[in-house]
Amino acid sequence: MTSNAQPTNSSITTALGQEGLGQQPWWVEQWMELINSYRFKKRLERAWTYAREGNVTSIRFEGRRVHARVQGTGEDPYKVKLWLDVLTDEDWVYVLEALTQKARWSAQLLAGIMPADIERAFAASGKRLFPFKLQEVRSECSCPDKANPCKHISAIYYLMGDRFSEDPFVLFQLRGRTRIKLLADLADQRREVLASLINEDECNQNVDNNQDNAPAQPHPAVVNPSLWWQYDSSLSSDLVVITPALDGDTGLDSVGELPLAEEPKFPESRRLFLDHLRQQGQALAQEAMMQAMSTGG
Amino acid sequence: MSLLHATWLPAIRNPTSSGRPALLVWADTWRVASPAGPGATPALHPFTLSSTELRAWLAAMDLLPDGIFDATACLTLPSRSLGLRSSQKKIKPQSEETDEITPVWTGLPLQAGEPIPKEPEWWPWQVEGLAIEPASATSWLSKLPLSGNNPDLADELRWWSHLQRWALSIIARGRWLPHVELSRGEGYPHRARWVPLLNRENDRRRLEDFATRLPLVATCALPWREPAGIRSNRTTRLRPEAMRAANPVASCRPRSGRLRVANLLEELVDAQLRKGFESNVEGLDPLLQVWQEALGSDTGVISLDTEEVERLAAASNHWKEGVAGSVAPARACLELFTPQEGEDLWELRFSLQAEADPTLKVSSSIAWATGSKILQLGEVRVDHPGEVLLEGLGRALTVFPTLERGLETATPESMYLTPAEAFVLVRTAAAQLRDVGVGVELPASLSGGLASRLGLAIQAELPEASRGFTLGENLDWKWELMIGGVTLQLKELERLAGKRSPLVLHQGVWIELRPNDLKNAERFCSSNPVMSLDDALRLTATEGDTLMKLPVHRFDSGPRLQVVLEQYHQQKAPDALASPPGFVGQLRPYQERGLGWLAFLHRFDQGACLADDMGLGKTIQLLAFLQHLKVENELKRPVLLIAPTSVLTNWKREANAFTPELRVYEHYGPRRLSTSNALKKALLNEDMVLTSYGLMQRDIDLLDMIDWQGVIIDEAQAIKNPSSKQSQAVRDVARSGKNNRFRIALTGTPVENRVSELWALMDFLNPKVLGQEDFFRQRYQIPVERYGDISSLKDLKIRVSPFILRRLKTDKAIISDLPEKVELSEWVDLSNEQQSLYRSTVEDTLDAIACSPRGQRHGKILGLLTRLKQICNHPALALKEKDIDKEFVLRSAKLQRLEEILDEVIEAGDRALLFTQFAEWGHLMKSYFQKKWNFEVPFLYGSTAKNKRQAMIDRFQEDPRGPQIFILSLKAGGVGLNLTRASHVFHVDRWWNPAVENQATDRAYRIGQENRVMVHKFITSGSVEEKIDRMIREKSRLADEIIGSGEDWLAGLGVNQLRELVALEDS
Repeated sequence: MTSNAQPTNSSITTALGQEGLGQQPWWVEQWMELINSYRFKKRLERAWTYAREGNVTSIRFEGRRVHARVQGTGEDPYKVKLWLDVLTDEDWVYVLEALTQKARWSAQLLAGIMPADIERAFAASGKRLFPFKLQEVRSECSCPDKANPCKHISAIYYLMGDRFSEDPFVLFQLRGRTRIKLLADLADQRREVLASLINEDECNQNVDNNQDNAPAQPHPAVVNPSLWWQYDSSLSSDLVVITPALDGDTGLDSVGELPLAEEPKFPESRRLFLDHLRQQGQALAQEAMMQAMSTGG
Repeated sequence: MSLLHATWLPAIRNPTSSGRPALLVWADTWRVASPAGPGATPALHPFTLSSTELRAWLAAMDLLPDGIFDATACLTLPSRSLGLRSSQKKIKPQSEETDEITPVWTGLPLQAGEPIPKEPEWWPWQVEGLAIEPASATSWLSKLPLSGNNPDLADELRWWSHLQRWALSIIARGRWLPHVELSRGEGYPHRARWVPLLNRENDRRRLEDFATRLPLVATCALPWREPAGIRSNRTTRLRPEAMRAANPVASCRPRSGRLRVANLLEELVDAQLRKGFESNVEGLDPLLQVWQEALGSDTGVISLDTEEVERLAAASNHWKEGVAGSVAPARACLELFTPQEGEDLWELRFSLQAEADPTLKVSSSIAWATGSKILQLGEVRVDHPGEVLLEGLGRALTVFPTLERGLETATPESMYLTPAEAFVLVRTAAAQLRDVGVGVELPASLSGGLASRLGLAIQAELPEASRGFTLGENLDWKWELMIGGVTLQLKELERLAGKRSPLVLHQGVWIELRPNDLKNAERFCSSNPVMSLDDALRLTATEGDTLMKLPVHRFDSGPRLQVVLEQYHQQKAPDALASPPGFVGQLRPYQERGLGWLAFLHRFDQGACLADDMGLGKTIQLLAFLQHLKVENELKRPVLLIAPTSVLTNWKREANAFTPELRVYEHYGPRRLSTSNALKKALLNEDMVLTSYGLMQRDIDLLDMIDWQGVIIDEAQAIKNPSSKQSQAVRDVARSGKNNRFRIALTGTPVENRVSELWALMDFLNPKVLGQEDFFRQRYQIPVERYGDISSLKDLKIRVSPFILRRLKTDKAIISDLPEKVELSEWVDLSNEQQSLYRSTVEDTLDAIACSPRGQRHGKILGLLTRLKQICNHPALALKEKDIDKEFVLRSAKLQRLEEILDEVIEAGDRALLFTQFAEWGHLMKSYFQKKWNFEVPFLYGSTAKNKRQAMIDRFQEDPRGPQIFILSLKAGGVGLNLTRASHVFHVDRWWNPAVENQATDRAYRIGQENRVMVHKFITSGSVEEKIDRMIREKSRLADEIIGSGEDWLAGLGVNQLRELVALEDS
């Protein structure tokens, strides 16, 4: 490990490589700020070392809780549990109602982005999505240390940030709503909102009409069985010459970073993996073009 | 003939394939089969080749794939209901089991191309074939032709080869991501997959294309499961329940193909990347390490805890979702509207758009209102439309953040953009949005493409004095600048450009100005441009052609110019020209139009290729054209007509009959003139000179000395090979000489479809049209022939179509002009061998007859006539040879001509009956043609067994890919048979009695039939066949006697009369 990874209060970063905070999604950033607000810096530094050196052997989301194992000084790893206060069903009714007020919130969540002003939806219920203070993050550790958070728990804190960047819905899960349930509830809610906005009859009529027009159309091949065999199209013009990608135009280029939290013990892992994919992708593209050129001769 | 098919097998589990998918290759062929129906399991497909036969056949075609294993599948195929034949009651062996199942339905599966019965049914059939592992399947598919008609390969193979080409394109462009696919349930592993990214507009369009054109046979399979008992002990018969449980009689329902096609594409992409991927990077964390290994492994199985796999799967999902949604039937769409009058804000409306048909849209309010129900967009069903819309808007936000402002309400329907924001959308964001799978609809005047660019609107007309005959002449014309559908003056353009706003309003239309627009316009205006007729022809041929870098948006031609343009582009039928004085006979209406067309192009000094279907009378149209020139006093110098030797006689005969005023000179035979002076002298008063391609090449120096007025080539495919000396000579003679020579080509083949042959033809007709040969090959031939590139082909056709007139006998406009039976006399010559054999036979036999007693004369005369007719067919027939030698076709002029015509028949996909009175000749033709064309030619004659006869007839009539040529002996095949599938009848040799010939002809022709039947009667010029023909035609007393009393009259002929009948005349 290089020395410049040594954390100080101001230089602790979440991605345990060289990336700075700026490249993190804001909600991860916010989480890290929460951690860094902890007063006992020494403990944080040790936690950071734990996280970085791979003492955390597993992190699992089970229902509304996070279960983790951290290899401490003892022989067996310590078991860490971590959870947030779950919102009640009544709270969720408020939250959902508020979330529905802006289509953007759903849109962003569906595209894998945590809306920056998501807390405003939670404010309706008087609750928050993100814990405001460190104390709101409940935790237990099987280590003998009486302090909470202990260094094991703190190590989990650090790694959790990356997990949030994998999937923004993890936070909702910790607050009591899985992704599927949340999206379904939102769709229902939207319909309700709409119904209250416009004349209810009109709305139903609109939809029902659409339903009425929906007799399962027979497939064209049922009407014309020769479609079973018939294909008389020519090769589309832009498949005639198979061309390589323009610079920076491959799928790998456009998706960006793989949102998978990095194992601290393998700090180069993600980069190695993506570099390898890129390099293999180029070789395979070459091969495909060669094959395309020798086709049909 | 067999037809090769390929059907995708979803994951199958059996000892050789561990639950992985495969491509099933199978073949069906036509054979007599009894109707069958499903028992406990689907019935065996009666027409398929066994896997052994299939292997042998594939090996013979050099198409045997690697990585194959025998497989059976259950394919759902359209089928024809038929009653069970009584002899077939027991299809299964006797069984003690009481619950043996008798079929509830019986019939036969339909084959590709077979006529569809009124009420087809869909039944599953058990099909045997060869399964190819996906990786081998992709390389096998890459070897298949991408275009063209391959008679052995079913259409869906081309669909597959195109899909594989798409997969290659995806790989070449790197439009894929590694993915983690969670188990689909018990027994399915978690797998690492390579998935194509279908977010780009063109890939999404393509998915729809492939889906709507999917031939369903490609995906109609349910895998066949071997019940476990069968392998443990082969003699154990499985109880029907076990078989039924393993393979229920179940059909695959035809469904919308989008998801299926996306899955197939994924399989092809996955197989290839998996095969090539090297999973050898070290230093990865355990999760990525496992993923990497699985991506490169054969099965892709990921062995990790469920928890960890789910984490990996979630991460890979999120990774992908940022750029590509899942394959849904609809997508979010943003529609931009121009500001209301007096306003300057642009409205952007949100809607949901069907992928299959972007014109199908509903406003977002309907999508919101639908909630969790199903929305019907035309024929497209959309589940959870609100979520589809939101998901798309979420992705749209990442590339067009301005959108955020519009999504602050619960059910947003639209938002307003400032002019600057609208410009960003038009210029850059629209393309990016489309790339992440969001539809964008811009106002027509801004929607990109050439139409919204600055260009020209042109009005042109022929000058008063002009007749529109010369290409170089200048037109009267006016032009205006035009952009986004509105015209504007240069001054206005300058004023708008001065506003320094990229989107400006002009005459109520919003237009986008680009930096160079003003410069281009100024340059154009200051150049004082002119427009020639040639320019007009070019600009009206294709859309988007440019004049001095400015696209021409509108071209209005005045009425007189319009007439010229329409005829030139063949947008309307050419003006008919009535048959000229001196033409003996009646032109049919379409022939008058053909004549008019030849005259039209002649006025422009453009070469013309008349490519009418065989039998439509190209010869007489050409003769009428020459007569037309002669009458108009435009025929001042001789015209050279080059044709294959086999049709020269025919030309001479037809010219004598239809245009007796045309003076025809023959330059062929050993006594032809060999010095230019002699030839020039001989040609002083001649109109047309006939010669053969062979002599043309041999005598090129001599023929080049003559000042031809024009060069005509018949059977123009003879010059298709541009590097052959023959082709070179013909093209040289067409363009050398101090005076312009008109060029006309005649051919019955679909020249416009034979790209490789087009260049030499156009080089003969109008060399400038297709340019140099190398350019042609790179620009057109390779793209079209190798890849079937439709846009290159279209462009090519637009270029050549003004010069090619091809009408088919099936065209509606032609059919009404044609009688139901068209009789064609095919005049042929004799080869040297035939001639000398003929002469010596006549001499020897006449002497013998003269000295023989009266009682034997009759038999001898008959023998002579028979032998002479045999010689006219082929010397080998007269000499009783049994084998086909190397020179076989060269020895008979008749066979040469017959073969040429049959080539055209086969090319056109028509079917023909060949009648002969000599069984031995039937055998010889059969073996010769089979060898030449490499397909079966059936021959029905007296000693064909009865059941074989019926099989031949059924096959000819029913088999979709049955034989195209059917030889019959006049006696055995002349009566009672129904062979209406044939549209050509050939009487290879003549019979004395026309009634017998007509009866035979009627095998193919039935009153009220829609096809026109072409009846070809071969007549060897100068021989006894011509005499017979003349007698029949003239209905002479002699002919009546012949018809009335058989051949008895022959005995009464005196030797002189006989000599007159049989002696070979110089034709």
